[in-house]
Amino acid sequence: MATNIEIEPGAALESALVTTDSYENFEQMSSSLEEIKNSNFIPSTTTDEFLDNCNNLDNDIHLNCSITSTNSKDEEYLQDEEWLSKPKHVFVLSSAGKPIYSRFGNEDRFASYFGIMQALVSFVQADDDSIRSIHAGDTKFVFLFKEPLILVAVSKTGECTLQLTAQLNYVFNQIASTLTLSRLVKIYEQRRNYDLRRLLTGVDRFIDHLLDFSENEPAFTLGAVQCLPLSSSIRDTISAAIIQSCSKIKNVVFGILLAKNQLITLVRMKKYYIHPHDLHLIFNLVQASESFKTVESCWAPICLPRFDSSGFLYGHVSYLAEDCQACLILLTVEGDAFSSLSEAKQRVVERLRRGSCLEAINESLSSREETCMEVGFPEVRHYLYKSKSTAQFYQPHISAPYSSNHKRLMNIYKRAHYKLHCPTRPLKLLFERTPQDAILAWDTRGFELYAVLEPLIETSSAISTVGRLLNWIKKREDKLFHLNAPTF
Amino acid sequence: MMAKSEIELKNFFIFSSSYESKEGEEYNKVLYYYPPTDDINTQVNNVGLVEAIIKFTGNFKPSGPLNSLHTLKKRQLYFEPEPNYWMVITINLPFINKGSNESTVVEYIEEDVHDTIYKAVLKQAYAMYRLFSGTYTSTEREYSITALRNKFEHFYTAYLKTLNLSNCDILNVFSGIHFLPLDKQNFLNVQCFINALECNYPIIEYVSFLFNDSLIWSGIEPDDTQIIYQYLISTLLPANIETELQGGSIPRNPSSPFASLHYGRFITGPTNLKTAHTIGKVPKIFLNNEANPSVYYFIVYRALNATICLFVNGGVDLTVELFKELDAFMGQRLSSIASDIGEYCTRSIIPPSSSDTSPRFIYFNKLNLAYKSTIHLDNRQSGNVSCGKELVQIMADMNSRKESLSFAGETIVKTMNDYWVVGKVSNLREFYVALQHKNASLIDISDEVKKICDTELKGIFFHPM
Repeated sequence: MATNIEIEPGAALESALVTTDSYENFEQMSSSLEEIKNSNFIPSTTTDEFLDNCNNLDNDIHLNCSITSTNSKDEEYLQDEEWLSKPKHVFVLSSAGKPIYSRFGNEDRFASYFGIMQALVSFVQADDDSIRSIHAGDTKFVFLFKEPLILVAVSKTGECTLQLTAQLNYVFNQIASTLTLSRLVKIYEQRRNYDLRRLLTGVDRFIDHLLDFSENEPAFTLGAVQCLPLSSSIRDTISAAIIQSCSKIKNVVFGILLAKNQLITLVRMKKYYIHPHDLHLIFNLVQASESFKTVESCWAPICLPRFDSSGFLYGHVSYLAEDCQACLILLTVEGDAFSSLSEAKQRVVERLRRGSCLEAINESLSSREETCMEVGFPEVRHYLYKSKSTAQFYQPHISAPYSSNHKRLMNIYKRAHYKLHCPTRPLKLLFERTPQDAILAWDTRGFELYAVLEPLIETSSAISTVGRLLNWIKKREDKLFHLNAPTF
Repeated sequence: MMAKSEIELKNFFIFSSSYESKEGEEYNKVLYYYPPTDDINTQVNNVGLVEAIIKFTGNFKPSGPLNSLHTLKKRQLYFEPEPNYWMVITINLPFINKGSNESTVVEYIEEDVHDTIYKAVLKQAYAMYRLFSGTYTSTEREYSITALRNKFEHFYTAYLKTLNLSNCDILNVFSGIHFLPLDKQNFLNVQCFINALECNYPIIEYVSFLFNDSLIWSGIEPDDTQIIYQYLISTLLPANIETELQGGSIPRNPSSPFASLHYGRFITGPTNLKTAHTIGKVPKIFLNNEANPSVYYFIVYRALNATICLFVNGGVDLTVELFKELDAFMGQRLSSIASDIGEYCTRSIIPPSSSDTSPRFIYFNKLNLAYKSTIHLDNRQSGNVSCGKELVQIMADMNSRKESLSFAGETIVKTMNDYWVVGKVSNLREFYVALQHKNASLIDISDEVKKICDTELKGIFFHPM
């Protein structure tokens, strides 16, 4: 590239987030829980407690949506044009073929279909191989077999297999997050034919939301999170308030403040990091739960599969105040820390009020981000900038011609992201023009940039524009990114 | 890192999904299966899986036919050329052994195998059969299912041996034709010769004319031309050139010093006209299969580097006399046309620059099936390419995703080793360039490609420029 830009806006030496490429090996999971507990000499939870926890989970945060079973015929959906025309179906079944989840429709009504999917998986497996995907016309059938579950996506959205597999992985992690992976495996070891839905009542809603969320949010494609723009002094004050308020409480692992799908701050225990995938699950949990808004505070066991898939963290979840819709999540390994964390939360709110941080958060929440046009880049329609060292990204407000067609913009990004990160032939740079848009995607050591440009832009002016854009971001990096990684 | 394994053929089979079979007699569905070493059970199971997949996917009403199955270790492609006949090819993915001696991890490289390329291989396997034997349906209807099985056995066992899967690339997708650009005079000479031939011998319905590996004229339909061209270039002519090299292409009547030289001889038909008592082997082929299938004799005659194909109505009886007369009519004329064209080519066609770093390109126009490649050093699928295989793979990536560019577009990418690949699509034309200069900028590259378009594809419009 002609303009050699040394600076990498949004870069920081230390990050609170695990930095990631999104097509990495999903199998990686750490086991941090034992470590934390052992280092603090606290006995770990027993299996009995697990069950209690599961019940708590239902009571605390999940609305029971009862499954109304009707007597209609099994294969009715396969004649139902509306059901068939859904752009993306997602099914979850046990490795024995028992239906667990269907994104649309009641999974009991096409149980035989789950049987076929299970048969396909096990037939290919019998040949010491594993099925990945089937391609027919515009439809992709993507399979993910992760003991003890089979996940299948039937998609007409044009997303590539890897992106669909990543989505299925999120669904798997969502299920693991409610039960823990160890428990999930154990259940099926004991009873192969177990109907998992008994333990997953209400989780449908989280999976539904997660799927919509992961389709529409660039955060999932990029494996990063977006920060709420705040001046760095305010952000530091907020972090300090959380640190000070929790200083006396043992084993708080993460303190997370977020609003509107954007991160305000993340305080972590020394040595421990949170993976963006886990953070996305937390975002999803907060977004999909109406109950958090009505109740003053909630206590929920949450398993963060990338952090430790074998056990629960306990989350104290609450909105800061009536007049400030930011959500504070305090995660601890202690199952009985609810009251002390409730007190800590009160202290956080008091400190933030004193420092007028609530006003600052509200102001940022109510002001819309600028569009590219408004800040002097008329040739740029939209862009995503990801700082790789902090796993954070920034995007301007979506403007014409994508305001009414958000999906189209997302598809451009997904396509470009895949081409750049194709596992065997990754690219450094991609510049692509279609009659509708042009995109410049650039992967460097420190950042990734995806800029959607006017289709008729001259190549030279595309490059100079992008250079200016990077400088613009650099000037605002304090505000747009969370550059410190505060610890308790 | 260890060396990568090659792409291998795992199996290839054809089955009929309409064939009702009782339990225990599923084997009857299998019309052809390779390798024959797979036992009946495996064969039936493999067919069963495909049928299950057809049924499973069909329920979701996809916009197009079932195309492929990807697994960790294999790739399977499907093609239903005629209703209820399914052709299936399974390929072992290439893999690398990674890691140290104690913990080797086998990594299968899914992206090295493009669906588009191997689907094209399947389609060609079908088209080649149809050229020589007509459609599957007609064979079964006119003879019997047993006859169809025998024909498959006979044809595909030999055909599969000629497949070189690891050298298949984007050219298989195009299966294009290399045309020879000629000046007016030479082109008119070819035209006059063909017209004279057709006037004097009305049994010759169509004529095609090639010089070396390049087509100059073809009177048959484009899709027929495509497959005949593939057959000539990849099978018939190479085999023939070998015999020429052994025996030499010598003038046949050097006795008369006044006659111009006569180098002609039949490639299909009687090999030695002076001693011939029978017409020898003249293949019959099926043309116009889509609209109005008809049978033709396929007579190929060659003089110097020119090859002429005569498509003679399959209803007439061929005689040795006819061949003698044709030889007398064509021999000298074709020899002189061929030597004129040869002279023209040495004068006007500049050989591609041999420098390693000069840009290499592939051009294809779907409308006339014309392709041109400075990447491939021959037309024989020998894997003999002048730039990194990775770059050719990237072109295949671009080609397989060209729908996302809609009717026109341009993609410029920079690889991890700082090579550049540019792809342009405009209506039905595609153009791919590999540039191996490091330290170039995006602007340099887009200027360079503009220059190549100006010199190599003058007047061919690409939008957006």
